[in-house]
This record gives sequence, C-alpha cells and structure tokens, in this order.
Amino acid sequence: MSPSETILAVLAIGLVTYATRIGGILIMARLPVSPRIEAFLRYLSGSVLVALVVPPVIHGGPAAWLAVAVALAAMVKTRHALLSLVLGMATAAAYRALVEMPGLP
Amino acid sequence: MADGQADVAEAPVCLTGAGMLRGAKDMLFALVSVVLFAMAFGVAARGAGLDGWATVLMSGVAFAGASQFAALELMTSPVPWIPLLAVVFAVNARHILMGAALCPWFGRLPFAQRLLPAYLMTDINWAQAIQAYDRGERDLGHLVGSGLLLWVTWLAGTGLGAALVDAVTIDLERLAIDLVFLLFFVCMLTGLRRGRSDDVAWLVAGGTALLAWHVLPAHWHVLAGAVAGGVAGLVHHERRP
Repeated sequence: MSPSETILAVLAIGLVTYATRIGGILIMARLPVSPRIEAFLRYLSGSVLVALVVPPVIHGGPAAWLAVAVALAAMVKTRHALLSLVLGMATAAAYRALVEMPGLP
Repeated sequence: MADGQADVAEAPVCLTGAGMLRGAKDMLFALVSVVLFAMAFGVAARGAGLDGWATVLMSGVAFAGASQFAALELMTSPVPWIPLLAVVFAVNARHILMGAALCPWFGRLPFAQRLLPAYLMTDINWAQAIQAYDRGERDLGHLVGSGLLLWVTWLAGTGLGAALVDAVTIDLERLAIDLVFLLFFVCMLTGLRRGRSDDVAWLVAGGTALLAWHVLPAHWHVLAGAVAGGVAGLVHHERRP
C-alpha cells in the first residue's frame, strides 16, 4: 500500500468507527431501538467474528487447528483471554518447531 | 436513591476534571492486559505488512481493538473499500447499542460536549461507566478520564509492539505470531457466547463464510457470513416464545 492509500484507509476506518460510537448516542436518543434491530445487531457482532475466523482456521493446517483447540479449551476452563491466547500460540510454535520445521534450531 | 426515576431527573449531569480522575482510577486494573493486547496488535500489524507509523496511526484514529485486528487482513492494495468498511462497521456495530445505553447520561449534555466522550467509549470503560452510573456517578468526566487513559495506553502498547518487530528479527511463523489475530477472536468469541441462540447464528455465519470463501471474490466471505449469521440469529430469536 502506498502511504496515501494507507492514510486514506485508516481515516475511513476511523470515520466508520466513530459513526458507530456517536450514532447510538445521537440517533437512538430520538428513536427507540426496536427489539428487532437490537437482536440483529447483537447477533451481527458475534457472527462477523465467526465469519472472520472460520475459513482461515479450516484452511490453516494442523498448527492452526491445534492452537485454536488449545486456546478454546483454556478459555472455557480459565476465562482468561490473554493466558488462552499465549497458550494457543505456544502450542502452534511448539508444533511447528517439532513437526513442521524440525531441522531448525 | 429509592425512587430511581425521580433521582435521575433531579441529578445534575456534568463533565469535570474530578470526574475524569475518578474514571482514570477505575481503569487502572485493566492497564496491563490493555498494553499486552496493544502490543499483540502492533506485532500483528507489522506482520501484516503495515508500516510502524501506520500501525500507531490506526490505533490512535480507530481506537477499537477488535476492528483493527479485523481490518489488517483487508489492508491491501488496491484497497477493497466495501469489504473493509463493512467489516469495520459490523465489528463495531455494538457501539450503537452501547451508546444508546448511555443516553440517560449523554442526553442532557450540550451537543458539543458529547463528541469527545463518544470517541473515547470502548467496551472496557463503557462497562465501568455503566456501573458507576448505577452507583450514582453523574459526571461524564468518568468516561472521558478512563477513555483518555485507555487511549494513551493503547497507543503506547501498539508502538511498543511495532517497535519490537523492528528491533529484533522475529520469525513471525516460528513464534506463531501470524496466528495472534485468529486466536484473539477465538478467545473473544468464547467470552461473547451467551447461549444456544448464539450457536445457531454462529453456525450459519461460519458455514456461509466457508462457502463464500470458495465462491465469492476475495474478502467478501466475512460480510456474507456476518449478515447470514445476524439474520439467522434474528429469525431464531423471534421464533422463540
């Protein structure tokens, strides 16, 4: 990406993000949020993350599968996001070191 | 305090420095995790090919971690504008509901005084502010103070992470840093799940995204899966008594 393209993209991201922040405060103050809109927005937030994650994980190979499985298990058990993230990374790193690139130090 | 309705109507809403200090103090407990997540973003962004200055700029301008991670994949040339901005909107759509929940507080301030607090509203300090409001806090400085502290911390952590990548030659794959982004969302989703109605939405979202990954042009799978999941969740939600 050229610097100007990057700046433009970052500003656009910031604008959209700010619109969601001020939008609830300005518009929803006047129009009550209907239960349908509220339910849709609620499911949308989770679904976008699922849609983001599933294809790259499925196509990510054994290291990604193992890492996700370990992070998920750790998250369910401990509810500690950062710890789970690090455990998942350590698993993938160990798998790659031992199985995928065993010749490397 | 017994009669909530009357109490809310009478309490003056304001925005002061003392309130900001209280908000900042309420945020101290979270700072270590914020720095670490910010560093993870800085590393991931450099791994995705973003320059150091652009990484820090994004943290300063967007100030919304999950959407920043989500945007990384779409920061390519030529910019896939519609998928990029739609994904950022979808990840941040929860802000609309969060802002609406703060309306009793925001609603009675002059327009100009709402602009900065809105910018500084994130998941963490929003939750703290809601609790503070229930305790009787009426100073919106609480949200501003906690938000400013988070903003500075988020920026510093991002810069630190990005600088780390440049200072030490890191093999991103060897350390599994290429997976930070995926694992971050997996952990977030586990925390977000509220029950079986989420499972329906998420199964549809995942299935649609997978299908779209093969069928649609690059980058559109996120949008397709998100909308399909949102609609599926809504339909399932409304069919329950």
